[in-house]
Amino acid sequence: MAESIYGDNLPQMQDVMKRLEDRISEIREELKKKYGSDPVEHCLSRIKSEESMREKCRRKGLPETEESALGVLTDAIGLRIVCAFVEDVYTIRDYLAAMPDCTVVQEKDYIRHAKPNGYRSYHMILRVDDAYFAEIQLRTISMDTWAALEHHLKYKKNPAANTDLLVRELKRCADELAATDMSMQTLRNMIYRDELPE
Amino acid sequence: MKILLAEDTRDLNRAETAVLTMQGYAVDSAYDGEEALDLIEKNGYDAIILDIMMPKMDGMTVLKELRSRNIVTPVLMLTAKSEIDDRVEGLDSGADDYLTKPFAMKELIARVKAMTRRRTAYSTTELKCGDIVLNAESQELTSENTVRLSVRELELMQTLILNRDKELSTEYLIEHVWADEKDLPEDAESQKDIVWLYINYLKSKLAYINSRVDIMGERGGAFQIYLRAESS
Repeated sequence: MAESIYGDNLPQMQDVMKRLEDRISEIREELKKKYGSDPVEHCLSRIKSEESMREKCRRKGLPETEESALGVLTDAIGLRIVCAFVEDVYTIRDYLAAMPDCTVVQEKDYIRHAKPNGYRSYHMILRVDDAYFAEIQLRTISMDTWAALEHHLKYKKNPAANTDLLVRELKRCADELAATDMSMQTLRNMIYRDELPE
Repeated sequence: MKILLAEDTRDLNRAETAVLTMQGYAVDSAYDGEEALDLIEKNGYDAIILDIMMPKMDGMTVLKELRSRNIVTPVLMLTAKSEIDDRVEGLDSGADDYLTKPFAMKELIARVKAMTRRRTAYSTTELKCGDIVLNAESQELTSENTVRLSVRELELMQTLILNRDKELSTEYLIEHVWADEKDLPEDAESQKDIVWLYINYLKSKLAYINSRVDIMGERGGAFQIYLRAESS
């Protein structure tokens, strides 16, 4: 087998990923104790496959080297944390940003500043132990639903289907889901403040 | 807010246009009845001011014509003092109000305001306020991002925007926004809960689209929109 684009870093990368997963489990436990419910619906993690990492290097015009994969590109290690409510996203974000062995390299709030196509998520790039980058995507169940379904539609073969109408309708769906997210958030807050009638 | 002014006397047309524009209305001028009807068909207006005596097609005919086409835009008729029959016929034909010439500009503005206040909630498709745009047709509230509103949220938001200069009591909102709600509970406490919930929905959604517009007020009290100093 040819040499990995990650060189001999894979075990350390696995370790970093595992530590991040464990940390998220701890945060969930803590918040469950504090608020009585788990703010995270589920959490996925992956190390970008050899093949897609090489493909990405080529697409970005980078040499297919360890330096490109680990020093230039930042998504070799990726985690997606799917939360129940919008505010949970920001709560988890604060916990992650406060981790002592991680520095936040970059943050993009596509929830507050939704992408023109309607995409919403909170993106963070962390640097762990001053060595490895990890990309974290935080979103709600609704945002995750939209992203998953949009992905299904985008990769249909028929190019005629990719019309302005489809783009517009997908954005409308995203905005509707965003409205529902906010209605549910409001209900939760009002229940929490005991402002809803019995 | 967009107004069509149909008045054939050029000087008067110009003066009325200037006064209404100063009040923040966007005014289209027509100088005869046919032109007025053309414009009404082409553009949506929030109010129409029709002089009765006009060349080509008189105001009464324009009024009857547009009502027959189910255009429900409020209409203010301008009539001469002696023409009582005109006023009666105008109101009977679907005019919302009339003003007899000569009139004071102050009164014209007051009547236009009163008339648009009555109708705007239903006839305006797009309302702007601060950094938000509320589109009634698509039920979308947009600032930096967009969210869709439910029908009730939309009506509440419209009412708040159209009355941005005053506080609206919970009772007022129940009467105006929940007027057609059949299952509305009758006790005041339940009504306060409903209004408060919908105010909260809107507040969250305004924050969610990154708008500086917010709503002040407490459960059971009066509400008014305002512009926050800085976006958080």
